Amino acid sequence: MTERPWTLAGTARSVRASGIELVRTYGIVLGLVVLVAAVASQNSVFVSHNNLLNISSQYAPAAVMAAGLTFVLISGGIDLSIGANFNLCAVVAAAIGQHHDPGLAFLAAMALGTGIGILNALIVTITGIDSFIATLGVSFVLTSISQILTGNQAYYVEREDFLSLGAGSWHTIPYAGMVMVGTFLLFGLVLARGAYGQKIYAVGGNREASRLGGLRVQVLYGSTFVLVGFCCGLAGILNGSQLGTAQYNIDPRILFEVVTMVVLGRTSLLGGYGAMWKTVVGWAFIAAIGNSFNILSVNSNYQSLVKGLVLIGALAIDVYVRRLARSGST
Amino acid sequence: MTEHETAAGAAPAAVRAVGIAKSFTGVHALRGVDFELGAGELHGLVGENGAGKSTLAKIISGACSADEGTLWAGDAQLSTGNPREHAAAGIAMVYQEPKLVAGLPAADNVFLGKMPRRGPFIARRAATQRLRQIAEEVGIEIDPMAIAGDLTLAKQRMLDVIRALDSGAEILIMDEPSAALGPVERDSLYRTIELLRERKVTILYISHDLEEVVRLSDRITVMRDGSLVATKLTQEWTPRALVEAMLGRDFVVPTRHKSEGRAGRDEEVLRVEGLSVPGALESVDLSIRAGEVLGIAGLVGSGRSTLLRALAGAEPKASGQLLLDGKEVPWPKTVQRAQRYGIGFSPEDRRRYGLVLGLTGAMNVALTNLHAVSVASFVEWRRLFRYAAQLVRPLAFDPARLKTTAAFLSGGNQQKLVVGRALGVQPKILLLDEATAGIDVGAKAEMFAIIDRLAAEGLSILFASSELEEVVEISDRILVLGRGRSLGTLEGEDCTVRDILEVVFGVEQETDAA
Repeated sequence: MTERPWTLAGTARSVRASGIELVRTYGIVLGLVVLVAAVASQNSVFVSHNNLLNISSQYAPAAVMAAGLTFVLISGGIDLSIGANFNLCAVVAAAIGQHHDPGLAFLAAMALGTGIGILNALIVTITGIDSFIATLGVSFVLTSISQILTGNQAYYVEREDFLSLGAGSWHTIPYAGMVMVGTFLLFGLVLARGAYGQKIYAVGGNREASRLGGLRVQVLYGSTFVLVGFCCGLAGILNGSQLGTAQYNIDPRILFEVVTMVVLGRTSLLGGYGAMWKTVVGWAFIAAIGNSFNILSVNSNYQSLVKGLVLIGALAIDVYVRRLARSGST
Repeated sequence: MTEHETAAGAAPAAVRAVGIAKSFTGVHALRGVDFELGAGELHGLVGENGAGKSTLAKIISGACSADEGTLWAGDAQLSTGNPREHAAAGIAMVYQEPKLVAGLPAADNVFLGKMPRRGPFIARRAATQRLRQIAEEVGIEIDPMAIAGDLTLAKQRMLDVIRALDSGAEILIMDEPSAALGPVERDSLYRTIELLRERKVTILYISHDLEEVVRLSDRITVMRDGSLVATKLTQEWTPRALVEAMLGRDFVVPTRHKSEGRAGRDEEVLRVEGLSVPGALESVDLSIRAGEVLGIAGLVGSGRSTLLRALAGAEPKASGQLLLDGKEVPWPKTVQRAQRYGIGFSPEDRRRYGLVLGLTGAMNVALTNLHAVSVASFVEWRRLFRYAAQLVRPLAFDPARLKTTAAFLSGGNQQKLVVGRALGVQPKILLLDEATAGIDVGAKAEMFAIIDRLAAEGLSILFASSELEEVVEISDRILVLGRGRSLGTLEGEDCTVRDILEVVFGVEQETDAA
């Protein structure tokens, strides 16, 4: 295989082949390796076949959303409605799945997620409201709709075929895990090699230059919200099918967990920089922390505390290292 | 140990640098520079991009530390990289890109952190009075309450000057103070400099504009590759000697670029009638023939850039009649449509409007045309490089550098990427806005040769620049703009900068009188 220095990260490396760049790019990988080694040394169940498959299934919904959100962040936006969108999609899937064919339930939920993505896209591109505020507003609306639909009660689905997507497996490999890996691979390929992905980098890197160069920046920027909306639909049906139940507050923390996964991988909130493999590492980090609390039987009240400290710590180290790099150059 | 140290016996040195060396991650920016700034002089500092001018300036201003060498202000030795100590020694810097709090008024920026107070409250009137007084003394017109971000670049730079004078600075380092200014703004800058000199302020003047440096300076220092080539009294330099010292090789000063082959084609490729952009352009007409270079001249605010942007489809509010090869077509409201018309656009300020700095050179060139290098929507890297190389090779851009991230390329090379991308739409008309701004002398000559060759191949080129000399040099005809209107078209070989200015001022005086 030939070297590929023309990828973004590769170019940065070839230009400044310094240890500092290596730390910045792979420091998070090192951190993950240390974390996994530390937990595994306490309890080897952590790295067992079964537990890894379990993680891949349990954290699949968050992974799917993180894959979509990576596009949004690289294009220079943010979507804070993903948690509420995901939740509403799960609720709708469960509501329809109670009495109808699961295929119909899943399709409806994914269409809804995508539709909400289109709504977000229209708001941010047509009104020009900052995506942080626009999607925050949409998030409140969606949460409220979930509450109204459910009447603050939970939907229970007992049909076996509804549960098969989330709970089923093929030769011990869970379907949800396969969906996650497939999403990461496909989205990663599109981002790194696809013409679309490269345009997303361009729009996030310099929107005005992209416009003057002839890119349809509004369409491209908006499309990332549609993409993540679709992902929310997919994540919603995975979750609904896994639990067989849905209410208006499935997992209030999932929005910030997903954002953390993407940001931990150092995909820039300002747009233009990032990569799917980094999101995968960020996902693994958060999943590993969450799972290790179960494995090591630590009081789960400490879970958010640890994740928060890891996020701040990782980004503080990055800023510090970047400052080192700066003082060495310009 | 060098000549100029002893030669400076006449005027005492305000700043003396001995053996200053500095490297950035292994690259030598300065290699043992001995430099002296005489008290009260205006000292020109010139050199190509990357020669080390800015690094030397930053070390003198205290913004940057030196690896080796010592720095003296009068008899006191300064520690390098200590801005407070340097400021206390009366040294201040005027930045090319002023560092401002854009949302605050001019006065608040000038007195940032030291606003005059009355008890716990800010004494705004005292601040504005103080600012007015200093500004008046050095011939600057500025409204103290104007929001800094809304001021013109020229005035933003002058805020730095006022701040420096307020803090009692006696040594000013000016980094490209005239860059991107129009003639009127430049004249007021020169007047300010005159007044500063009357106040015995010592000035280190960095500029790409040799003519200006020769006119203003007492002495000129040339730098090249991180070393000081020579310091001489201005009258001892000739323009040719300066350029040769900068480039380190014999260099033929480009004179006339208008090639013989260009004239005599008369198919009209593009005609514009009544182009208006609300608030910027009013009923401008123009026409251009195949193989012709039409210069667009005018002061800052004349609508030069807006004219090109409107033609490029980047001004959705533009209206007017557009005829391509004699056929009327709807005015392009999107860049994509203009590209389909065969209009290629290289915008001004390449770092801001031209490039995605985080992407490779090749990707920047191919951005507009990614489908041409993709198979089933996936980019084929080999095609990408072949495509980009084919576009930039004729521009004397080394294709090996296409793999480099755009941010790390020199100004001249970055400009070639932007032009290369514009050529990728197979244009019949090429719009170049400030294509030679802030690039070094050699790259500029290269860019002129490229324009010349493209025109000879039949391309029609609109060349807009704030450098009137360049417009005169390269253009077959010149459209002069003023306050968004067409002031006239100058034809013929012998058009000079003076002719342009006469058109500009003649008409402006008339409108002022009316």
